[in-house]
Amino acid sequence: MLKVPEHQVAGHIASDGKLGPLVDDQGRFFKPLQGDSRGEHEAKFYESFTSNKMVPDHIHRYFPVYHGTQLVEASDGSGKLLHLVLDDVVSGYSNPSVMDVKIGSRTWYPDVSEGYFKKCIKKDRETTTVSLGFRVSGFKIFDHQESSFWRAEKKLVLGYNADGARLALRKFVSSNSPADSNSTPPNCAFASEVYGGPNGILVQLLELKEWFETQTLYHFNSCSILMTYENESILMKGGDDDVQAARAQVKLVDFAHVLDGSGVIDHNFLGGLCSFIKFIKDILQSVDKRDETETSPLENGN
Amino acid sequence: MQLKVPEHQVAGHIAKDGKPGPLVDDKGRFFKPLQGDSRGENEVKFYESFSTNTEVPDHIRRFFPVYHGTQAVEGSDGATMIVLENLLADYSKPSVMDVKMGSRTWYPEASEEYVQKCLKKDTGTTTVSAGFRISGFEVYDHKESSFWKPERKLLRGLKVDGARLTLRKFVSSNSLSDMGSKPDSAFVSSVYGGSNGVLTQLLELKTWFENQTLYHFNSCSILMVYENESILKGNDGDARPQVKLVDFAHVMDGNGVIDHNFLGGLCSFINFIRDILQSPDESAES
Repeated sequence: MLKVPEHQVAGHIASDGKLGPLVDDQGRFFKPLQGDSRGEHEAKFYESFTSNKMVPDHIHRYFPVYHGTQLVEASDGSGKLLHLVLDDVVSGYSNPSVMDVKIGSRTWYPDVSEGYFKKCIKKDRETTTVSLGFRVSGFKIFDHQESSFWRAEKKLVLGYNADGARLALRKFVSSNSPADSNSTPPNCAFASEVYGGPNGILVQLLELKEWFETQTLYHFNSCSILMTYENESILMKGGDDDVQAARAQVKLVDFAHVLDGSGVIDHNFLGGLCSFIKFIKDILQSVDKRDETETSPLENGN
Repeated sequence: MQLKVPEHQVAGHIAKDGKPGPLVDDKGRFFKPLQGDSRGENEVKFYESFSTNTEVPDHIRRFFPVYHGTQAVEGSDGATMIVLENLLADYSKPSVMDVKMGSRTWYPEASEEYVQKCLKKDTGTTTVSAGFRISGFEVYDHKESSFWKPERKLLRGLKVDGARLTLRKFVSSNSLSDMGSKPDSAFVSSVYGGSNGVLTQLLELKTWFENQTLYHFNSCSILMVYENESILKGNDGDARPQVKLVDFAHVMDGNGVIDHNFLGGLCSFINFIRDILQSPDESAES
């Protein structure tokens, strides 16, 4: 039985008879190959990547596992359609907070059609893509006060400037209600467990960055980084277990526009990734600073 | 004070049709005329900010020309000139290359007209594809015993393979003007390599760019220089390769964001240099 994924935050959503991805109960994600060549192109990438011996082993963990293509009943009722079969990257989580960040200061690339170029560059300039080298595409977080998920409105997200993006990244790891953040700043309660630590988001991003400094295999145009972490265990707070329990994860997704590297590094993705890393680092530093000043009165015996 | 036209300028404006170009004196100073339409002012603003900015680490200052203020200069209609360190003053036979960094030369604060002009140039050159483009160079040909400077047209038409070939030629001794001949990469280790070579200096800059949010160096160039005189005298190790950032007419405030545009291009450029160091005999990437 295939159903609409619960935790999708960006891209086409299969609801109200629209064509979109589906999931099964075995942890598999089915992404429809759409009419234009994008779907085929994505399948080609997965096929190339999966068997590419030049990709180091430790880098494979950042990519969804590919299981070929399969004819499946499309979500819009149009009949059997070829779908990409992937591991559902959020299937191991019971209450995941998820954020999709499109990386790169441009989403267009050489040799695209004039129409596509114009469409992309307009969006790039209207969002933080040009200014920051990345843009938040969508996110959902678990509101610990309301005990329910809060999803950021697409319009809101696309209207972010640098401060908005920064705020969203702070909200993503906060426990206070995201809905009323205009008055209350996000508390970044989980910043250290999710962004920090020996297996946190920052460490994973730095590992990716190192690979991007020399890999000339692929140019990941218009790809996103998907960040996920578990709320279930944070709900049942228990000291050191939190770090393991958050299980923060970085995955690269959406490969419809990937091209051959042709001997040049993916400087577009890399620049944006470095900028994103700086944003995460800054949040961690501000949290460390805050924690330092908060503990010193205690140390003074107050 | 005797001012003359610089011998080895490879890119940017030159004195033409009565319009002033840069000049040098015999005391190691470089005089750059302030360009119209606020660009000159913006460059002065940058130099004034940069020279007094305590957040710039000392070891990074070596990558920037020393600033000596502005001056009205005789013989240029009293036009104001920016006074800088002449980067080539200590070189007798310098090979010089100007590489414009970044996968875009336009920036959000620019006028629409400027954006369109830049976009056109960026997409037509290696700026978009490689994250940098070679703006100009002059190299000493040891076989011909003379300097060679390519035509601007040649540079504009360069694609990725051509850029790679040109970077090899820059450190070669043989028949440079013949685009069909294979460069010998004779000086690759003394110029690009070594503990004081171009690669080491670029890596130092890269570390700073990964964190600095002070300035966005839109449309800036990296200038590479090295001495041929010592090579001619049989002393390859004294090439004194140097990396400098130049041309700050379009620098903007960083506003808490790193200069990801420059950084991406810089990383790509570093990879090209590294590839050449690792395989000086290959004329194309493996």
